[in-house]
Amino acid sequence: MRHPTDGTLRRLLDEPAGVAAADRAHVADCRTCLSALAAAREDALLVGTALQTSASSASSASFASSDVDAGWSRLSDALAEEAGAKVLPVRAQSNGVLPLRAQSVGVLPIRAQSKGRAERWRAALRSPVIAVVGVAAIVTGASAAAAGDWFPIFRAERVAPITVDPADLGKLPELDAYGDVRFIEPADVRKVPNAAAARAATGLTAPRVGELPRGVVGEPGFLVVNQVSAQFTFDARKAAAAAGGTAHPAPPAGLDGSEFRMTAGPGLAQVWNEARGVPALVVARVVAPKAYSTGVPFETARDYLLSLPGLPSSVAKQLRAFTGDGTTLPMIVNSDEEATASTDVHGVPATLLTDRGNALNGVVWIEDGVINAVGGSIGADEVLSVARGLR
Amino acid sequence: MVAGVRPDLEQVFRSAYPRVVAVAARVLGSRYEAEDVAQEVFLTFGRSSVPAAEAAGWLSVAAAHTALNHLRTGRRRASREAISGTAEVAPDIADAVVTLEERRRVRAALATLPRKQAVALVLRHSGLSYAEVAAALDLSPGSVGTTVRRAESALRKELNRHAPSD
Repeated sequence: MRHPTDGTLRRLLDEPAGVAAADRAHVADCRTCLSALAAAREDALLVGTALQTSASSASSASFASSDVDAGWSRLSDALAEEAGAKVLPVRAQSNGVLPLRAQSVGVLPIRAQSKGRAERWRAALRSPVIAVVGVAAIVTGASAAAAGDWFPIFRAERVAPITVDPADLGKLPELDAYGDVRFIEPADVRKVPNAAAARAATGLTAPRVGELPRGVVGEPGFLVVNQVSAQFTFDARKAAAAAGGTAHPAPPAGLDGSEFRMTAGPGLAQVWNEARGVPALVVARVVAPKAYSTGVPFETARDYLLSLPGLPSSVAKQLRAFTGDGTTLPMIVNSDEEATASTDVHGVPATLLTDRGNALNGVVWIEDGVINAVGGSIGADEVLSVARGLR
Repeated sequence: MVAGVRPDLEQVFRSAYPRVVAVAARVLGSRYEAEDVAQEVFLTFGRSSVPAAEAAGWLSVAAAHTALNHLRTGRRRASREAISGTAEVAPDIADAVVTLEERRRVRAALATLPRKQAVALVLRHSGLSYAEVAAALDLSPGSVGTTVRRAESALRKELNRHAPSD
Protein backbone atom coordinates (compact mmCIF):
# COMPACT_ATOMS: atom_id res chain seq x y z
CA MET A 1 0.00 0.00 0.00
CA ARG A 2 1.15 3.50 -0.76
CA HIS A 3 2.09 5.65 2.24
CA PRO A 4 -0.56 8.14 3.33
CA THR A 5 0.23 11.76 2.50
CA ASP A 6 1.82 14.18 4.94
CA GLY A 7 -1.53 15.90 5.17
CA THR A 8 -3.20 12.68 6.25
CA LEU A 9 -0.52 12.09 8.86
CA ARG A 10 -1.03 15.61 10.13
CA ARG A 11 -4.75 15.06 10.49
CA LEU A 12 -4.07 11.82 12.32
CA LEU A 13 -2.57 13.93 15.10
CA ASP A 14 -5.64 16.11 15.51
CA GLU A 15 -8.59 14.16 14.24
CA PRO A 16 -7.77 10.46 13.93
CA ALA A 17 -11.43 9.68 13.36
CA GLY A 18 -11.25 11.76 10.18
CA VAL A 19 -8.57 9.46 8.70
CA ALA A 20 -9.57 6.31 6.85
CA ALA A 21 -9.22 3.11 8.88
CA ALA A 22 -6.93 1.61 6.23
CA ASP A 23 -4.55 4.58 6.53
CA ARG A 24 -4.55 4.35 10.32
CA ALA A 25 -3.76 0.65 10.15
CA HIS A 26 -0.96 1.26 7.66
CA VAL A 27 0.67 3.93 9.78
CA ALA A 28 0.57 1.77 12.88
CA ASP A 29 2.76 -0.83 11.17
CA CYS A 30 4.97 1.38 8.99
CA ARG A 31 8.26 2.65 10.36
CA THR A 32 8.53 5.28 7.63
CA CYS A 33 5.10 6.66 8.42
CA LEU A 34 5.66 6.52 12.18
CA SER A 35 8.84 8.49 11.72
CA ALA A 36 7.05 11.07 9.55
CA LEU A 37 4.26 11.19 12.12
CA ALA A 38 6.74 11.90 14.89
CA ALA A 39 8.27 14.73 12.85
CA ALA A 40 4.83 16.17 12.19
CA ARG A 41 3.98 15.97 15.89
CA GLU A 42 7.20 17.75 16.80
CA ASP A 43 6.57 20.57 14.32
CA ALA A 44 2.96 20.90 15.42
CA LEU A 45 3.99 21.15 19.05
CA LEU A 46 6.68 23.70 18.38
CA VAL A 47 4.44 25.88 16.23
CA GLY A 48 1.54 25.50 18.64
CA THR A 49 3.76 26.64 21.48
CA ALA A 50 5.10 29.58 19.50
CA LEU A 51 1.64 30.76 18.52
CA GLN A 52 0.35 30.19 22.01
CA THR A 53 3.20 32.21 23.48
CA SER A 54 2.43 34.90 21.00
CA ALA A 55 -1.21 34.97 22.03
CA SER A 56 -0.86 34.05 25.66
CA SER A 57 -2.93 36.93 26.90
CA ALA A 58 -5.78 36.50 24.49
CA SER A 59 -7.04 32.97 24.65
CA SER A 60 -10.79 32.65 24.47
CA ALA A 61 -10.77 31.24 27.96
CA SER A 62 -9.28 34.43 29.38
CA PHE A 63 -12.25 36.50 28.21
CA ALA A 64 -14.60 37.84 30.80
CA SER A 65 -18.11 38.91 29.91
CA SER A 66 -17.04 42.47 30.72
CA ASP A 67 -14.45 42.23 27.92
CA VAL A 68 -17.19 41.33 25.49
CA ASP A 69 -19.36 44.13 26.84
CA ALA A 70 -16.52 46.61 26.39
CA GLY A 71 -15.90 45.39 22.86
CA TRP A 72 -19.56 45.67 21.99
CA SER A 73 -19.78 49.14 23.47
CA ARG A 74 -16.84 50.25 21.39
CA LEU A 75 -18.28 48.73 18.23
CA SER A 76 -21.63 50.38 18.86
CA ASP A 77 -19.93 53.76 19.21
CA ALA A 78 -17.98 53.17 16.03
CA LEU A 79 -21.07 52.19 14.08
CA ALA A 80 -22.92 55.21 15.38
CA GLU A 81 -20.12 57.51 14.37
CA GLU A 82 -19.71 55.84 11.02
CA ALA A 83 -23.39 56.31 10.34
CA GLY A 84 -23.11 59.98 11.11
CA ALA A 85 -25.18 59.61 14.21
CA LYS A 86 -24.68 61.92 17.10
CA VAL A 87 -21.04 61.88 18.07
CA LEU A 88 -20.65 60.98 21.66
CA PRO A 89 -18.43 63.20 23.73
CA VAL A 90 -15.07 61.70 24.53
CA ARG A 91 -15.46 60.10 27.88
CA ALA A 92 -13.83 57.53 30.01
CA GLN A 93 -15.93 54.42 30.06
CA SER A 94 -16.00 52.01 32.91
CA ASN A 95 -13.36 49.91 31.18
CA GLY A 96 -11.09 52.87 30.68
CA VAL A 97 -11.51 53.02 26.93
CA LEU A 98 -11.82 56.38 25.27
CA PRO A 99 -13.16 56.48 21.73
CA LEU A 100 -11.09 58.65 19.46
CA ARG A 101 -11.66 59.14 15.78
CA ALA A 102 -8.66 58.06 13.83
CA GLN A 103 -8.03 56.46 10.49
CA SER A 104 -10.58 55.82 7.83
CA VAL A 105 -11.53 52.47 9.25
CA GLY A 106 -13.35 53.92 12.15
CA VAL A 107 -12.34 54.29 15.68
CA LEU A 108 -9.07 53.74 17.38
CA PRO A 109 -9.21 53.01 21.06
CA ILE A 110 -7.22 55.05 23.44
CA ARG A 111 -7.09 53.53 26.84
CA ALA A 112 -7.31 55.99 29.63
CA GLN A 113 -3.95 56.16 31.26
CA SER A 114 -5.06 55.48 34.78
CA LYS A 115 -2.80 52.50 35.02
CA GLY A 116 -0.14 51.76 37.52
CA ARG A 117 3.56 52.01 37.07
CA ALA A 118 3.98 48.38 36.15
CA GLU A 119 1.55 48.65 33.31
CA ARG A 120 3.08 51.89 32.09
CA TRP A 121 6.44 50.21 32.01
CA ARG A 122 5.11 47.37 29.99
CA ALA A 123 3.46 49.81 27.62
CA ALA A 124 6.70 51.72 27.37
CA LEU A 125 8.52 48.58 26.42
CA ARG A 126 6.62 48.65 23.18
CA SER A 127 7.10 52.31 22.52
CA PRO A 128 9.72 53.87 20.30
CA VAL A 129 10.38 56.12 23.22
CA ILE A 130 11.88 53.20 25.02
CA ALA A 131 14.62 53.33 22.46
CA VAL A 132 15.84 56.02 24.59
CA VAL A 133 14.29 55.58 27.94
CA GLY A 134 15.01 51.97 28.45
CA VAL A 135 15.99 48.88 26.69
CA ALA A 136 13.27 47.73 24.43
CA ALA A 137 13.92 49.60 21.34
CA ILE A 138 17.55 49.31 21.74
CA VAL A 139 16.76 45.87 21.41
CA THR A 140 13.61 45.26 19.57
CA GLY A 141 14.69 45.83 16.07
CA ALA A 142 12.05 46.52 13.53
CA SER A 143 9.25 48.27 15.26
CA ALA A 144 11.37 50.41 17.42
CA ALA A 145 14.00 51.10 14.85
CA ALA A 146 11.31 52.20 12.46
CA ALA A 147 10.94 55.33 14.47
CA GLY A 148 14.39 56.25 13.45
CA ASP A 149 15.06 54.16 10.41
CA TRP A 150 14.37 56.33 7.52
CA PHE A 151 14.76 59.61 9.18
CA PRO A 152 18.18 61.17 9.25
CA ILE A 153 19.89 58.93 11.68
CA PHE A 154 23.13 58.43 10.15
CA ARG A 155 25.98 58.74 12.48
CA ALA A 156 23.62 60.07 15.09
CA GLU A 157 25.22 62.66 17.31
CA ARG A 158 22.23 64.16 19.03
CA VAL A 159 18.66 63.39 19.90
CA ALA A 160 15.72 65.56 18.99
CA PRO A 161 12.17 64.87 20.09
CA ILE A 162 9.37 64.83 17.57
CA THR A 163 6.03 65.47 19.16
CA VAL A 164 3.27 63.39 17.66
CA ASP A 165 -0.39 63.69 18.41
CA PRO A 166 -1.78 60.34 19.56
CA ALA A 167 -4.24 60.40 16.69
CA ASP A 168 -1.31 60.55 14.28
CA LEU A 169 0.75 57.80 15.88
CA GLY A 170 -1.21 55.12 14.12
CA LYS A 171 -0.71 56.87 10.80
CA LEU A 172 3.07 56.89 10.84
CA PRO A 173 4.15 54.72 7.95
CA GLU A 174 6.66 51.93 8.33
CA LEU A 175 9.76 51.92 6.23
CA ASP A 176 8.57 48.90 4.27
CA ALA A 177 5.77 51.00 2.82
CA TYR A 178 8.45 52.55 0.62
CA GLY A 179 10.56 49.60 -0.32
CA ASP A 180 11.88 46.30 0.87
CA VAL A 181 13.45 45.90 4.29
CA ARG A 182 15.64 42.89 4.94
CA PHE A 183 17.20 42.23 8.28
CA ILE A 184 20.78 41.14 7.87
CA GLU A 185 21.45 40.83 11.58
CA PRO A 186 18.20 40.50 13.56
CA ALA A 187 18.15 41.59 17.18
CA ASP A 188 19.14 38.92 19.64
CA VAL A 189 18.48 39.98 23.22
CA ARG A 190 20.12 37.97 25.95
CA LYS A 191 20.52 38.10 29.67
CA VAL A 192 24.10 37.89 30.82
CA PRO A 193 25.28 37.32 34.37
CA ASN A 194 27.34 40.44 35.04
CA ALA A 195 29.03 43.59 33.76
CA ALA A 196 32.10 41.70 32.56
CA ALA A 197 29.98 39.40 30.43
CA ALA A 198 28.08 42.40 29.08
CA ARG A 199 31.35 44.03 28.13
CA ALA A 200 32.63 40.88 26.51
CA ALA A 201 29.44 40.59 24.47
CA THR A 202 29.18 44.19 23.34
CA GLY A 203 32.55 45.85 23.71
CA LEU A 204 30.81 48.51 25.79
CA THR A 205 31.53 49.24 29.41
CA ALA A 206 28.52 49.24 31.70
CA PRO A 207 28.59 52.57 33.51
CA ARG A 208 28.72 52.43 37.28
CA VAL A 209 25.95 54.20 39.09
CA GLY A 210 27.36 56.51 41.75
CA GLU A 211 24.41 56.55 44.08
CA LEU A 212 21.16 54.68 43.64
CA PRO A 213 17.98 56.69 44.10
CA ARG A 214 16.06 56.12 47.26
CA GLY A 215 14.03 52.94 47.06
CA VAL A 216 16.21 51.34 44.39
CA VAL A 217 18.24 48.57 45.94
CA GLY A 218 20.14 45.42 45.11
CA GLU A 219 22.21 44.32 42.19
CA PRO A 220 21.14 44.97 38.60
CA GLY A 221 20.42 42.38 35.96
CA PHE A 222 22.23 42.72 32.64
CA LEU A 223 20.84 42.52 29.12
CA VAL A 224 22.82 42.71 25.92
CA VAL A 225 21.88 42.97 22.28
CA ASN A 226 24.00 42.38 19.24
CA GLN A 227 24.50 44.84 16.40
CA VAL A 228 21.30 44.93 14.39
CA SER A 229 21.54 45.68 10.71
CA ALA A 230 19.04 45.93 7.93
CA GLN A 231 19.08 46.75 4.28
CA PHE A 232 16.44 48.93 2.68
CA THR A 233 15.85 48.95 -1.06
CA PHE A 234 13.76 51.84 -2.28
CA ASP A 235 10.85 50.81 -4.48
CA ALA A 236 9.12 53.61 -6.36
CA ARG A 237 6.02 51.49 -6.97
CA LYS A 238 5.55 50.86 -3.26
CA ALA A 239 6.12 54.53 -2.50
CA ALA A 240 3.47 55.44 -5.08
CA ALA A 241 1.09 52.95 -3.50
CA ALA A 242 1.81 54.43 -0.08
CA ALA A 243 0.80 57.79 -1.48
CA GLY A 244 -2.64 56.27 -1.81
CA GLY A 245 -3.32 57.36 -5.34
CA THR A 246 -2.99 61.03 -4.53
CA ALA A 247 -0.80 63.29 -6.60
CA HIS A 248 2.85 62.94 -5.70
CA PRO A 249 6.15 63.93 -7.29
CA ALA A 250 8.17 61.48 -9.36
CA PRO A 251 11.20 60.07 -7.53
CA PRO A 252 14.55 61.71 -8.23
CA ALA A 253 16.77 60.00 -10.78
CA GLY A 254 18.57 56.99 -9.39
CA LEU A 255 16.43 56.60 -6.30
CA ASP A 256 14.31 53.68 -7.44
CA GLY A 257 16.16 50.50 -6.53
CA SER A 258 18.83 52.28 -4.54
CA GLU A 259 19.99 50.59 -1.36
CA PHE A 260 20.61 51.82 2.14
CA ARG A 261 22.13 49.83 4.94
CA MET A 262 21.40 50.70 8.55
CA THR A 263 23.04 49.51 11.69
CA ALA A 264 22.46 50.02 15.41
CA GLY A 265 24.01 48.42 18.44
CA PRO A 266 25.48 46.49 20.08
CA GLY A 267 24.05 47.63 23.35
CA LEU A 268 23.68 46.77 27.00
CA ALA A 269 21.32 47.62 29.82
CA GLN A 270 21.45 47.33 33.57
CA VAL A 271 18.07 46.84 35.16
CA TRP A 272 17.14 47.22 38.81
CA ASN A 273 13.79 45.68 39.59
CA GLU A 274 11.43 46.55 42.36
CA ALA A 275 10.12 43.79 44.57
CA ARG A 276 7.19 43.26 42.22
CA GLY A 277 9.53 42.83 39.30
CA VAL A 278 8.82 46.25 37.89
CA PRO A 279 11.97 47.96 36.71
CA ALA A 280 12.79 50.78 39.04
CA LEU A 281 15.83 51.94 37.12
CA VAL A 282 17.37 51.17 33.74
CA VAL A 283 20.78 52.40 32.62
CA ALA A 284 21.49 51.62 28.99
CA ARG A 285 24.15 52.26 26.38
CA VAL A 286 23.89 51.37 22.72
CA VAL A 287 26.03 52.20 19.74
CA ALA A 288 24.05 54.86 17.87
CA PRO A 289 22.46 54.09 14.52
CA LYS A 290 24.34 54.71 11.33
CA ALA A 291 23.20 54.48 7.75
CA TYR A 292 25.04 53.86 4.54
CA SER A 293 23.94 54.40 0.98
CA THR A 294 25.04 52.65 -2.18
CA GLY A 295 25.18 55.92 -4.02
CA VAL A 296 22.14 58.08 -3.63
CA PRO A 297 22.63 60.58 -0.83
CA PHE A 298 20.34 59.78 2.03
CA GLU A 299 19.08 63.34 2.00
CA THR A 300 17.69 62.72 -1.49
CA ALA A 301 15.61 59.82 -0.24
CA ARG A 302 14.60 61.62 2.91
CA ASP A 303 13.48 64.76 1.09
CA TYR A 304 11.50 62.71 -1.38
CA LEU A 305 9.81 60.68 1.33
CA LEU A 306 8.94 63.85 3.20
CA SER A 307 7.34 65.20 0.03
CA LEU A 308 4.98 62.23 -0.24
CA PRO A 309 1.51 62.29 1.25
CA GLY A 310 0.95 59.80 4.04
CA LEU A 311 3.16 61.21 6.74
CA PRO A 312 1.21 63.41 9.14
CA SER A 313 2.00 67.00 8.22
CA SER A 314 2.94 67.96 11.76
CA VAL A 315 5.54 65.17 11.80
CA ALA A 316 6.91 66.02 8.36
CA LYS A 317 7.25 69.65 9.38
CA GLN A 318 9.30 68.78 12.42
CA LEU A 319 11.51 66.44 10.44
CA ARG A 320 12.15 69.07 7.81
CA ALA A 321 13.27 71.42 10.54
CA PHE A 322 16.20 69.14 11.31
CA THR A 323 19.51 70.12 9.93
CA GLY A 324 20.45 68.22 6.85
CA ASP A 325 23.74 66.87 8.07
CA GLY A 326 22.33 63.50 9.05
CA THR A 327 23.39 63.54 12.65
CA THR A 328 20.09 63.93 14.47
CA LEU A 329 18.24 60.95 15.89
CA PRO A 330 14.52 61.65 16.02
CA MET A 331 12.67 60.41 19.03
CA ILE A 332 8.93 59.94 18.75
CA VAL A 333 7.11 61.48 21.69
CA ASN A 334 3.43 61.02 22.35
CA SER A 335 2.24 64.54 23.03
CA ASP A 336 -0.53 63.34 25.32
CA GLU A 337 1.67 61.32 27.58
CA GLU A 338 5.17 62.65 27.53
CA ALA A 339 6.82 66.02 27.67
CA THR A 340 10.42 66.79 26.76
CA ALA A 341 12.89 69.36 27.94
CA SER A 342 16.46 70.20 27.00
CA THR A 343 19.09 69.62 29.61
CA ASP A 344 22.68 68.43 29.76
CA VAL A 345 24.75 65.65 31.22
CA HIS A 346 28.28 66.81 31.96
CA GLY A 347 27.91 69.50 29.33
CA VAL A 348 26.59 67.18 26.64
CA PRO A 349 23.15 68.23 25.36
CA ALA A 350 20.49 65.80 26.55
CA THR A 351 16.76 65.37 26.28
CA LEU A 352 14.72 64.84 29.41
CA LEU A 353 11.50 62.89 28.93
CA THR A 354 8.91 63.30 31.59
CA ASP A 355 5.79 61.24 31.81
CA ARG A 356 2.68 63.30 32.41
CA GLY A 357 1.56 60.78 34.99
CA ASN A 358 5.01 60.94 36.57
CA ALA A 359 5.19 57.14 36.34
CA LEU A 360 8.21 57.00 34.07
CA ASN A 361 10.97 59.48 33.43
CA GLY A 362 14.14 59.30 31.43
CA VAL A 363 17.07 61.20 30.01
CA VAL A 364 18.90 60.51 26.76
CA TRP A 365 22.09 61.79 25.31
CA ILE A 366 24.60 60.79 22.67
CA GLU A 367 28.28 60.91 23.38
CA ASP A 368 31.07 59.58 21.20
CA GLY A 369 28.66 57.72 18.98
CA VAL A 370 26.94 55.93 21.84
CA ILE A 371 23.37 56.56 22.96
CA ASN A 372 23.12 56.73 26.73
CA ALA A 373 19.82 56.44 28.53
CA VAL A 374 18.75 56.48 32.13
CA GLY A 375 15.12 55.89 32.92
CA GLY A 376 12.94 54.58 35.63
CA SER A 377 9.95 54.70 37.88
CA ILE A 378 11.62 57.56 39.69
CA GLY A 379 11.41 61.32 39.61
CA ALA A 380 12.90 63.42 36.83
CA ASP A 381 15.37 64.95 39.27
CA GLU A 382 16.49 61.49 40.37
CA VAL A 383 16.93 60.41 36.75
CA LEU A 384 19.15 63.40 36.12
CA SER A 385 21.05 62.79 39.30
CA VAL A 386 21.80 59.19 38.30
CA ALA A 387 22.81 60.25 34.78
CA ARG A 388 25.17 62.92 36.05
CA GLY A 389 26.64 60.54 38.61
CA LEU A 390 27.55 57.76 36.17
CA ARG A 391 31.18 56.77 36.15
CA MET B 1 -29.45 49.58 16.10
CA VAL B 2 -27.94 51.96 13.56
CA ALA B 3 -29.56 51.93 10.14
CA GLY B 4 -27.91 49.68 7.58
CA VAL B 5 -26.42 47.36 10.18
CA ARG B 6 -27.53 43.74 10.21
CA PRO B 7 -29.96 42.99 13.05
CA ASP B 8 -28.14 39.90 14.30
CA LEU B 9 -24.86 41.75 14.81
CA GLU B 10 -24.97 41.92 18.60
CA GLN B 11 -25.87 38.26 18.94
CA VAL B 12 -23.09 37.20 16.57
CA PHE B 13 -20.66 39.59 18.22
CA ARG B 14 -21.28 38.22 21.70
CA SER B 15 -20.79 34.64 20.63
CA ALA B 16 -17.85 35.13 18.26
CA TYR B 17 -15.86 38.05 19.68
CA PRO B 18 -13.54 36.01 21.96
CA ARG B 19 -12.59 33.69 19.13
CA VAL B 20 -12.04 36.53 16.66
CA VAL B 21 -9.72 38.26 19.12
CA ALA B 22 -7.92 34.99 19.84
CA VAL B 23 -7.35 34.31 16.13
CA ALA B 24 -5.95 37.80 15.56
CA ALA B 25 -3.81 37.58 18.69
CA ARG B 26 -2.16 34.40 17.43
CA VAL B 27 -0.94 36.41 14.49
CA LEU B 28 -0.15 39.66 16.23
CA GLY B 29 0.99 38.61 19.69
CA SER B 30 -0.94 41.43 21.27
CA ARG B 31 -4.40 41.30 22.71
CA TYR B 32 -4.93 45.01 22.32
CA GLU B 33 -4.01 45.06 18.68
CA ALA B 34 -6.10 41.94 18.22
CA GLU B 35 -9.05 43.82 19.70
CA ASP B 36 -8.47 46.57 17.13
CA VAL B 37 -8.54 43.94 14.39
CA ALA B 38 -11.73 42.47 15.82
CA GLN B 39 -13.36 45.87 15.68
CA GLU B 40 -12.41 46.25 12.01
CA VAL B 41 -13.72 42.78 11.23
CA PHE B 42 -17.06 43.29 12.97
CA LEU B 43 -17.50 46.72 11.40
CA THR B 44 -17.22 45.08 8.00
CA PHE B 45 -19.35 42.14 9.04
CA GLY B 46 -22.04 44.45 10.40
CA ARG B 47 -22.51 45.95 6.95
CA SER B 48 -22.34 42.62 5.15
CA SER B 49 -24.94 40.08 4.14
CA VAL B 50 -22.88 37.04 5.09
CA PRO B 51 -25.39 34.29 5.98
CA ALA B 52 -25.66 33.80 9.73
CA ALA B 53 -24.79 30.14 9.41
CA GLU B 54 -21.46 31.06 7.83
CA ALA B 55 -20.69 33.92 10.17
CA ALA B 56 -18.30 32.09 12.51
CA GLY B 57 -16.07 30.83 9.72
CA TRP B 58 -16.21 34.11 7.85
CA LEU B 59 -15.23 36.07 10.93
CA SER B 60 -12.32 33.77 11.76
CA VAL B 61 -10.92 33.99 8.24
CA ALA B 62 -11.43 37.75 8.18
CA ALA B 63 -9.64 38.06 11.52
CA ALA B 64 -6.68 36.05 10.26
CA HIS B 65 -6.46 37.98 6.98
CA THR B 66 -6.84 41.37 8.63
CA ALA B 67 -4.24 40.53 11.26
CA LEU B 68 -1.83 39.28 8.58
CA ASN B 69 -2.46 42.49 6.66
CA HIS B 70 -1.50 44.41 9.77
CA LEU B 71 1.75 42.46 9.87
CA ARG B 72 2.53 43.03 6.24
CA THR B 73 1.53 46.62 5.93
CA GLY B 74 3.52 47.22 9.05
CA ARG B 75 1.16 49.40 10.97
CA ARG B 76 2.71 51.11 13.89
CA ARG B 77 2.18 48.41 16.39
CA ALA B 78 4.59 49.83 18.85
CA SER B 79 2.91 53.17 18.87
CA ARG B 80 -0.56 51.72 19.03
CA GLU B 81 0.37 49.53 21.93
CA ALA B 82 2.00 52.41 23.64
CA ILE B 83 -1.24 54.27 23.30
CA SER B 84 -3.38 51.45 24.49
CA GLY B 85 -1.20 50.30 27.31
CA THR B 86 -1.06 46.66 28.14
CA ALA B 87 -2.02 44.47 31.00
CA GLU B 88 0.10 41.53 30.05
CA VAL B 89 1.91 40.23 33.07
CA ALA B 90 5.65 39.98 32.95
CA PRO B 91 7.33 39.34 36.24
CA ASP B 92 10.67 40.66 35.14
CA ILE B 93 11.66 43.28 32.62
CA ALA B 94 14.31 41.06 31.09
CA ASP B 95 11.77 38.32 30.58
CA ALA B 96 9.42 40.86 29.11
CA VAL B 97 12.01 41.98 26.59
CA VAL B 98 12.89 38.43 25.67
CA THR B 99 9.20 37.58 25.30
CA LEU B 100 8.72 40.57 23.04
CA GLU B 101 11.62 39.38 20.95
CA GLU B 102 10.12 35.91 20.68
CA ARG B 103 6.81 37.36 19.61
CA ARG B 104 8.57 39.49 17.03
CA ARG B 105 10.23 36.38 15.62
CA VAL B 106 6.94 34.51 15.41
CA ARG B 107 5.27 37.43 13.67
CA ALA B 108 8.15 37.82 11.23
CA ALA B 109 8.09 34.10 10.46
CA LEU B 110 4.32 34.09 9.94
CA ALA B 111 4.65 36.97 7.52
CA THR B 112 6.92 34.88 5.29
CA LEU B 113 4.34 32.12 4.77
CA PRO B 114 2.06 31.98 1.73
CA ARG B 115 -1.20 33.58 2.76
CA LYS B 116 -3.38 30.48 2.54
CA GLN B 117 -0.91 28.46 4.61
CA ALA B 118 -0.72 31.17 7.24
CA VAL B 119 -4.48 31.47 7.54
CA ALA B 120 -5.01 27.69 7.69
CA LEU B 121 -2.31 27.40 10.33
CA VAL B 122 -3.71 30.14 12.51
CA LEU B 123 -7.27 28.85 12.25
CA ARG B 124 -6.28 25.29 13.06
CA HIS B 125 -4.24 26.39 16.05
CA SER B 126 -7.13 28.57 17.16
CA GLY B 127 -9.21 25.44 17.57
CA LEU B 128 -11.18 25.24 14.33
CA SER B 129 -11.77 21.69 13.14
CA TYR B 130 -10.52 20.46 9.78
CA ALA B 131 -14.05 20.67 8.44
CA GLU B 132 -14.39 24.26 9.66
CA VAL B 133 -11.03 25.28 8.19
CA ALA B 134 -11.93 23.52 4.94
CA ALA B 135 -15.27 25.29 4.70
CA ALA B 136 -13.81 28.65 5.62
CA LEU B 137 -11.01 28.44 3.06
CA ASP B 138 -12.85 26.50 0.39
CA LEU B 139 -10.47 23.56 0.68
CA SER B 140 -11.14 19.84 0.92
CA PRO B 141 -10.66 18.49 4.46
CA GLY B 142 -7.85 16.33 3.07
CA SER B 143 -5.90 19.29 1.81
CA VAL B 144 -6.26 21.15 5.12
CA GLY B 145 -3.82 18.66 6.65
CA THR B 146 -1.39 19.14 3.79
CA THR B 147 -1.62 22.93 4.00
CA VAL B 148 -1.21 22.99 7.78
CA ARG B 149 1.68 20.52 7.64
CA ARG B 150 3.54 22.60 5.05
CA ALA B 151 2.95 25.74 7.05
CA GLU B 152 4.23 24.15 10.27
CA SER B 153 7.31 22.82 8.56
CA ALA B 154 8.08 26.18 6.97
CA LEU B 155 7.41 28.07 10.20
CA ARG B 156 9.61 25.74 12.22
CA LYS B 157 12.46 26.24 9.75
CA GLU B 158 11.98 29.98 9.82
CA LEU B 159 11.91 30.08 13.63
CA ASN B 160 14.99 27.89 13.88
CA ARG B 161 16.80 30.03 11.34
CA HIS B 162 16.36 33.07 13.56
CA ALA B 163 16.60 31.33 16.90
CA PRO B 164 18.39 33.25 19.66
CA SER B 165 21.95 32.19 20.21
CA ASP B 166 21.64 31.39 23.89
